[in-house]
Amino acid sequence: MANYSSDRRQVLKLFGAISATCAYPFAGDELYGQTVHEHGPSQSPNRFLNETDYRTIERIADLIIPATDTPGAVQAAVPEYIDFVISRESQHQAVVADGLRWLDAQAKQHGAERFMDLGEHGQLAILEPLCEAADAEKTPARNVQFFALIKRLTADGYYTSRVGLIDELGYKGNAVRASYPECVHEH
Amino acid sequence: MQPKIYDVVVIGSGAGGGTLASRLANLGADVLVLEGGPQVNTRTDFNTHALPFEFPSRHIPTMRPGKPGFDAERSRGLGGKTMLWNAVALRLSQRDFKGRQHDGAGEDWPLDYADMAPYYDRVEREVGVCGNLDHLTDLPDGIFLPPVPLKCTDIAIQKGAEKLGVKVIHVRKATLSRAQTSRPACHFCGNCMSGCDVVAKYNSYDVQMVPALKTGKLTLRGNSIVHDLAISDEAKVSEVRYFDRETRAEGSTRGRVVVVACACAQSVALLLMSKSSRFPNGLANSSGQVGKNFIPHITAGFELFLEDFIGKPSENDEGFLDHGYIPSFMHDKKRDYARSFGVQYGYHNRRATGWARSIKGMGKSYKEAVKARYPAYMTFSPYQEMLPNDDSFIDLDTEHPDEYGLPRPRRHWKLSEMDMRLHNDMKRRCQEILEASRAEILSVSGEPATNHEIGGCRMGSDPRRSVVDATCRAHDVNNLYVVDASVFPSASEKNPTLTIMALASRTADMIADRLQKREV
Repeated sequence: MANYSSDRRQVLKLFGAISATCAYPFAGDELYGQTVHEHGPSQSPNRFLNETDYRTIERIADLIIPATDTPGAVQAAVPEYIDFVISRESQHQAVVADGLRWLDAQAKQHGAERFMDLGEHGQLAILEPLCEAADAEKTPARNVQFFALIKRLTADGYYTSRVGLIDELGYKGNAVRASYPECVHEH
Repeated sequence: MQPKIYDVVVIGSGAGGGTLASRLANLGADVLVLEGGPQVNTRTDFNTHALPFEFPSRHIPTMRPGKPGFDAERSRGLGGKTMLWNAVALRLSQRDFKGRQHDGAGEDWPLDYADMAPYYDRVEREVGVCGNLDHLTDLPDGIFLPPVPLKCTDIAIQKGAEKLGVKVIHVRKATLSRAQTSRPACHFCGNCMSGCDVVAKYNSYDVQMVPALKTGKLTLRGNSIVHDLAISDEAKVSEVRYFDRETRAEGSTRGRVVVVACACAQSVALLLMSKSSRFPNGLANSSGQVGKNFIPHITAGFELFLEDFIGKPSENDEGFLDHGYIPSFMHDKKRDYARSFGVQYGYHNRRATGWARSIKGMGKSYKEAVKARYPAYMTFSPYQEMLPNDDSFIDLDTEHPDEYGLPRPRRHWKLSEMDMRLHNDMKRRCQEILEASRAEILSVSGEPATNHEIGGCRMGSDPRRSVVDATCRAHDVNNLYVVDASVFPSASEKNPTLTIMALASRTADMIADRLQKREV
């Protein structure tokens, strides 16, 4: 995060230099990069999912992309993103409702009232077979569709978040360079 | 008061319209450009430097809040598609102009490379094209600014391709590798296709039309959707009819010469919509050829990870997207199809991470797998030429009009058996190159897809088989020209824009000559 904002300042400095040294076509007071975008989706007070369902989705997202030495899906506000997308896509809503019901039914077979009452081991015992089935991409059953949807939204949400894109993956683009470097690796 | 009659009315402001209009204004002609979309401010109106987390949907809109244009229709806006293009600028070769002579299929252009070369030279000098002198038969060199170094990942592909005898060259782009005529050099932010806010990448508005405005001879009129070209008794376009995109107020204007440069399908649609008793099937369509011979580029797509880069630290290698290019290498090989293909690769922007959802697994191992592959991700897209056939054409869909009540252009295309042989061989050879480059392939496109719309107003010397002549003038209508990729008789596998610009520059000279001689 810190790197990114210092890049931004460097952008401004560099462009100031460019405009002074070449006939830059645009007025100096409207330089590149000075427009500050609003950052991040706000904490929505109006969630689409009810509290119980939201917490379950949050838990699944946490298991798909956990916090490790870097933050995970929950710290990157992925559950809010998932809620946002589901709220806008009616076809997702039915898949999610069915999926959550199915999870709780499975939990009962594991001796718990609900999916959220299970420990991590029990939760993974339910989710990991779904994950394998989703990866195999065979005509997925409804419960596999549900997992595939939540995994897709978790991946999309996490790797487009500031935490995921910049801190985790190390995106360094959107910067200003005077030239493009020759490759110095051995190939 | 008599309404003003312009020397030239140009419909469309992209690579064709912008190049032609600015050239004519600089030669002293009185030019009006009508553009269907709004005027945008390149510096402030695009979301060039936005990142996905600035938006709740994580989708970066093309335009900044409240700025009209481009989001709904990629071509509508002053500057047309040059605002958002990737700037690959390739010359066609003599073999491309005379494909039929070489392999007995498709159509020849009524032009030779030698006819076009001076105009390629001119537009390259005018807008700035970077590239390397490669001395290839099928991809002529041009007047180049210095090439931009290949990325590390490009060199991995280069080494792999080399094992198969396939050459990887520096891409040629209409993007400045050093400052030129008040435009700065590219700064490699990697966001070329989100609108280049410093105009290091060519767009027709800032690079050509804005300077031409200083002549006082050029008038730009945005938000003007042309829907009808009326014809006089002498078979000349007498009136250009349009309406305002926002108010829907009707307007009309006149020009001694009228140039249609709306981009392939839209140009075809305008001619087909302009019906009269003389041309009941559409303007300049006595041959019935308007809309025929639609020959878009056909692509396949691969996503892959270069094994040598998996697990390496992430670097800033955005550059100006793709730095390498694989030129056509099949022309001299024995094969059971006509024509060839080229490959654009590594043009992904590292803000885009949609591939992460396709990585298998969950939990810590999933997270590690994605992170390890991030520096190794690459896109790879070959483009092939298709040949004209009776099943590939553009017509009007009158049953589903657009938001303005105008019929939409409808694209029909079907690959012949020979086109499919080329397509399958193209995919097979790409797969070989990727394997030789030690790639882990993530996805391979299924069905062929189109890109770069070409054809519909074919250029030719026989008025029964073509719409325009070798100067881009309609056979049927003395003062009507079509200047965009719709006139290409054969597509080649090369990106069409530089050829559109060279044709536009050439046609501008010919129009200026006719205006001076009072022929129109």
